[in-house]
Amino acid sequence: MEILQALVNGLLIGGVYAVISIGLTLVFGVMSIINFAQAEFLMLGMFIAFFCWQYLGLDPMFGALVAFAVVFAFGMLVQRGLIERVMKAPDVAQIFLTVGLLIVLENAALLAFGSDFRSVQVPYQTSAIRLGELIIGVPYLLAFAVSLVAGILLWAFLRFTWLGQAMRATSQDANAALSLGMDVRRIRQIAFGLGVGMTALGGAVILPYFTASPTIGGQFVVLMFTAVVLGGLGNVLGAVIGGLAVGVIQTMSTLVLPIQLQNLVLFIVFILVLALRPEGLLRQK
Amino acid sequence: MSQAPVDRSASDAVAARRRRIGWGVLLVAAVILPWLLPEQGYTLRVACLILLFAALAQAWNIAAGLSGLISLGHAGFFGAGAYVSTLLLINFGISPWFGMVAALLFGALLAALLSLPTLRLRGHYFALATIAFGEVMRVIGNSWSDVTGGPVGLSVPFSQPSFAVMQFQSLRPYYFLLLVALIITCLVFERIRRGALGLRLRALKNHPDAAASLGVDTTRAKFTVAVISGAITAVIGVLYAQFMFFFDPDTVFSLAGISVRAALITIIGGMGAVAGPLIGAVLIIPIEELTNMLFSSTAAGLSQLVFGAVLIAVVIWQPRGLLSLLTRLGGKR
Repeated sequence: MEILQALVNGLLIGGVYAVISIGLTLVFGVMSIINFAQAEFLMLGMFIAFFCWQYLGLDPMFGALVAFAVVFAFGMLVQRGLIERVMKAPDVAQIFLTVGLLIVLENAALLAFGSDFRSVQVPYQTSAIRLGELIIGVPYLLAFAVSLVAGILLWAFLRFTWLGQAMRATSQDANAALSLGMDVRRIRQIAFGLGVGMTALGGAVILPYFTASPTIGGQFVVLMFTAVVLGGLGNVLGAVIGGLAVGVIQTMSTLVLPIQLQNLVLFIVFILVLALRPEGLLRQK
Repeated sequence: MSQAPVDRSASDAVAARRRRIGWGVLLVAAVILPWLLPEQGYTLRVACLILLFAALAQAWNIAAGLSGLISLGHAGFFGAGAYVSTLLLINFGISPWFGMVAALLFGALLAALLSLPTLRLRGHYFALATIAFGEVMRVIGNSWSDVTGGPVGLSVPFSQPSFAVMQFQSLRPYYFLLLVALIITCLVFERIRRGALGLRLRALKNHPDAAASLGVDTTRAKFTVAVISGAITAVIGVLYAQFMFFFDPDTVFSLAGISVRAALITIIGGMGAVAGPLIGAVLIIPIEELTNMLFSSTAAGLSQLVFGAVLIAVVIWQPRGLLSLLTRLGGKR
């Protein structure tokens, strides 16, 4: 029973990780850069949802939409102003541009919001649904549901719209896409906005059970990279499976290990996957 | 026509002599400096930090600048060195001088172990894997409390100041200790860069596949520099512990504070050149100290913000570092 409960909890939280990781993998897929600052957009999403709750009384599940929209627009600006400039630069420039962005965003948030931990109060915060012996927390369920809807919408966008197909084309072969007359720069810009927007949405929906702080990104960095690497960098479906897997690994490892070692297991999985199957566990060739 | 090569080698010799004189002047200035500053003063302390971080950056430069292994996990070696020597001192009363040897060996061992799964990875993937390594070390430092003291950190036990225990009343001996460490690190860097290993590394950095197909054992060459870089970084961690007297896992294993800072200093100065980390450290450390001093009470995070903004600006406008800017300006004469 304990194992089943851990499995369910892992899947619920893993669904949110999936949405967070989709964003990262989308950015990599289309632009071939790893956005080390991705987790900072999650932090931004949390704060936007928090302020929506504080000043507008908006539930974080709706605040998540605001967070998505704001971070989407902000992300497009960041891509246009900064990242586009290093698209052809060597790896070092690409890596340290996003690392610099990470430091700037985290400390700008520290300056603007202070180092306090902030949390919301919502009526369903402590509610739970009982299914036989299983207990399912309502905030976890809601966060999972919103993530699921967002994930399905993104999938439909990539699958059925012209822009989504152009994005997938760009991620398969940017030069071919360019020579077929697609505005690759525009596509990269939108893809980056969408990617960080999805991650921000994932940050917003966990607000009812997670406190926001400027340094919260650090807790998610390795987690989202593990999810993405498990599924194969740039592979959206892979990121979903990776996210779910990371959630389950996390909750399962707490059954046998002390809580502070929960991330250690992830790190080891991460290094092993990178070393043994850097193309991800589901390789599509 | 036949004149040209002679002229060229003559001007090369002039340039080389000028460079030697430049380094000589710099060394003399570095030796005189601590006698001009108050021996317990803040300015001398900052000078010590500049030397320490220049040495750390140079150690990073050995791996990143010479072979293109962009590590974001050097804090793992740095912190390991600090813990190894301090734990030997606390538990067995072993002098930090021997602690340095132990740290050197331990750093080399860690780097060798880390190389097994990561050396074949390229660019972004290598950076990702090394981030995870640094974080693993931080988690271990925080949670293996029986040995490491956990999140509280460790204090280097005070004893009667003497050379044997590497503790001094004045800051000047620390300064010279760090200066020697920096010089040795720079010499190691130059030695590798000019040697056969440096040639092999340059080949594999510029054209990895071509180098491999021409019979360069790329993995072995990278392995060698990765191990040397990790070992030296651990030794600098020992010096940090002795200089600071106190450290905790989140400081010595810090991604932003150690790993990224080492890289940033090198990149700002210029990667792959021996002068790069020196220029970077002379610029970055005082700026950071100044913003910390001026704004730390009113605006925590400001110095880090400046730090990140400088990194972005350099990467976008001067990706080859300030050194290339200086040489270009100098070349116009």
